[in-house]
Amino acid sequence: MSLTGYIARRLLHLVPVALGVTILCFFLIHLVPGDPARTILGNQATDQRVALLRHTWGLDRPLPVQYEKFLARIAHGDLGTSLFYNVSAGHLVLERLPVTLWLIAFGTLLSVAIAVPLALTAATHRDKPSDHAVRAVPLVGLGFPPFWIGIVLLLVFGLHLGRLFPVGGYGSGFFGHVHSMFLPALTVAFAISPILIRSLRASLLEVFESDYITTARSKGLPERRVLAHHALRNAVVSTVTVLGVNVGYLVGGTLVIEAVYALPGLGQLMINAINQRDFPVVQAVTLAFAVMVVLVYLLTDVAHALLDPRVRFD
Amino acid sequence: MTTARSRLLFLAFLMALFALGAAAALAARAATPKHGGSITIARIEDSQSFDKTNVFQNESIWLAEQIMEPLYTVTPDGKHVKPWLATSYKVSNGGKTYTFKLRPGVKFSNGKTMTSADVKFSIDDARVQSKGWGYLDAAIKNITAPNPSTVVFNLKYQWAPFLADIALFANGIIPNKFNGESRASFYKHPIGTGPFMWDKRVVGQSVTFKRNPLYWQKGKPYLDSVTWKFVTDENTRELQLRGNQIQVDEFPPFNSISKLQNTPGVTMTLFPSTRTDYLDMNEKYPPLADRHVRRAISYAVDRQAIVKSVLFGHGKPANSFLPPQVPFYDPEAGGLQYDISKAKAEMAKSKYPKGFKATLLVGAGAQVEAAMGQILQNSLKQIGIDVTFKQEDTSTEFQDIQKQNYQLGFSYWTMDIADPDELVTFAVDIKGGGAHSFFTEYNNPTVVSLSHQAQRETNPVKRAQLYNKLQRIAAGDAFLGFLYYSPFRYAYSSKLHGFFVYPLGNYHLEDAWLG
Repeated sequence: MSLTGYIARRLLHLVPVALGVTILCFFLIHLVPGDPARTILGNQATDQRVALLRHTWGLDRPLPVQYEKFLARIAHGDLGTSLFYNVSAGHLVLERLPVTLWLIAFGTLLSVAIAVPLALTAATHRDKPSDHAVRAVPLVGLGFPPFWIGIVLLLVFGLHLGRLFPVGGYGSGFFGHVHSMFLPALTVAFAISPILIRSLRASLLEVFESDYITTARSKGLPERRVLAHHALRNAVVSTVTVLGVNVGYLVGGTLVIEAVYALPGLGQLMINAINQRDFPVVQAVTLAFAVMVVLVYLLTDVAHALLDPRVRFD
Repeated sequence: MTTARSRLLFLAFLMALFALGAAAALAARAATPKHGGSITIARIEDSQSFDKTNVFQNESIWLAEQIMEPLYTVTPDGKHVKPWLATSYKVSNGGKTYTFKLRPGVKFSNGKTMTSADVKFSIDDARVQSKGWGYLDAAIKNITAPNPSTVVFNLKYQWAPFLADIALFANGIIPNKFNGESRASFYKHPIGTGPFMWDKRVVGQSVTFKRNPLYWQKGKPYLDSVTWKFVTDENTRELQLRGNQIQVDEFPPFNSISKLQNTPGVTMTLFPSTRTDYLDMNEKYPPLADRHVRRAISYAVDRQAIVKSVLFGHGKPANSFLPPQVPFYDPEAGGLQYDISKAKAEMAKSKYPKGFKATLLVGAGAQVEAAMGQILQNSLKQIGIDVTFKQEDTSTEFQDIQKQNYQLGFSYWTMDIADPDELVTFAVDIKGGGAHSFFTEYNNPTVVSLSHQAQRETNPVKRAQLYNKLQRIAAGDAFLGFLYYSPFRYAYSSKLHGFFVYPLGNYHLEDAWLG
């Protein structure tokens, strides 16, 4: 099967996956106790006012009826209207999506930028002090929770050291985003790069034992070329899968980092929508997350196949 | 020698005079408001809606008040009202007719002059909102506008809280017929007479208002714009304040107050508030329907310990269900205070001398409630009440309290008007308030009757007597555990002046300026 055909088939798979996720989400969110009408009416919520508001929103109808209407809306591309803000849930998601995409992409880029040189150093200096030092990084990196790392980074680079970076926020314009998102992305990198380092180092060590590396060296190729063109290209295949899985996990796990850095992304939207029992927004964000995870896994598989011609698209 | 000394003394006197003058000049300069600059206020919640007639969220209401103003407004002590868009009123027809004179020359930010037609439309619209605040205007029979500067309110009956109700944000004045727009469209960018006017909103992120150049208080406001930002993490808000990315941090946690008070460039102010926290006791659970049991629990609550360890000393034990910043608050209300021997004596008199088991609803992640719960659990154990916690996320907790699906739980109240009627009705009038007496099912006909009498009694002295009596009976019945009064907490840049939070929680940003 061609690459295009493979991608088209995988994208088609998105439809049942997204639908399944949305249906599951619809029933799960209605199972959770908590009433949006009472949440919004606050202290003054009397039974009469709650009943009136529930009626306005159609929440007093039987669940199957609500579900039917929900499906009908989805079929027309309408994700519903936020109960809290009274604006389109789809619009809210689209407005927040760039922030989360920035965070994931920038964080992934930084993770790779940190992991590759460190893994190479460790693998090429096996059991030497530099290897031991790099091998300690995952212990430290995985030992601290992202919210703590985020606060420390904000304190050091946002307040002290000449206020190099803003204390939270998304910034404006491309360079504004790069500037504002550097610390959040670095926090993401602290969480992901230790796993990448460990995986890439192990793969590199395995590849170093291969005959083709010995051949390359015996042919007198410079070590740099051996590493870049022969060792790294083969070793990185398994690491791409590890990266894909972690980025997929990160898609749903950005909310802590978004909260610490005051980033108006999907994670923040999701948390607030859950607290407010804003059903349509919870459903819309879940759908967005599901699509993103599927796309990340698709990209991972495509990258895997492009790096390793032995992998076939079938 | 003498001459030389005299000259020296004279010189010293001149220098001192100069120093004093310079200091006075500096002080005067510092106290003289300056125009210009913008501020950002960071808060834990985003605004929901600016439809003042239907929104119950403080984070929306306090913003809407910067644009839409009422005829009368609350005084800084939170206990009275003063003329605002109206200059005076007259009462006639045995207290059933109020005639207001409107302030001349008041314009909406769109340039149109405010008239009685706008006032009539605004309040007629507010009072029919059945899902909103319309219930507070229930005493109004009709409104007429005999001429452009006069508005007449005819009431169905004498209604003592009328002026306080008129000062409610929901009764703020907007242009007649929503300025030609639909209701929904108008409230997406409302127009009013207030110091600020609509600029922009990014839903879920920020709201920005800009200076209204046509504001009726000449020279005000001083700030060019105000932005409210939604920053959920309290640490981030604090760091942003210290980094001057924001100028106001709304409601920093109690445990950071001392630190912020000692942070250079930051002013940490505790504004007296009407917030009162309660322990709810649901009388649908038979042991809590026993007055002696409720009194025992109230005696067993160590309020000082709560104030010390939960509020870090920034509050005081409550002695009434009304807070001190409300008119007719009775300092001698006699709310029961910590006394474990009296608690034991009350338990002995109850139907449950050997104690019983009870469940306390606690919000998951609500640190203050968890800490209070621990203190309460220890205290109640001493009088034989075995308390277990039931943790629920705060939304569910809130719902369960309101649906009376709980035994013991926590709740609080902040006032919306400068009159006790709203809270009293909600808290003790089991049928009138629609909230089953603050969701406790408390029903004392004497208290309900006093509440109704106070609503119709326009003589302040007699009204005070009624409310005093009511508070004392309610305190004796211990229908709620009155826990503590706590302040509104704001940390802000020391460059920001004139920032003052009223006991109702609102603020008049027309007085704020950057030095």
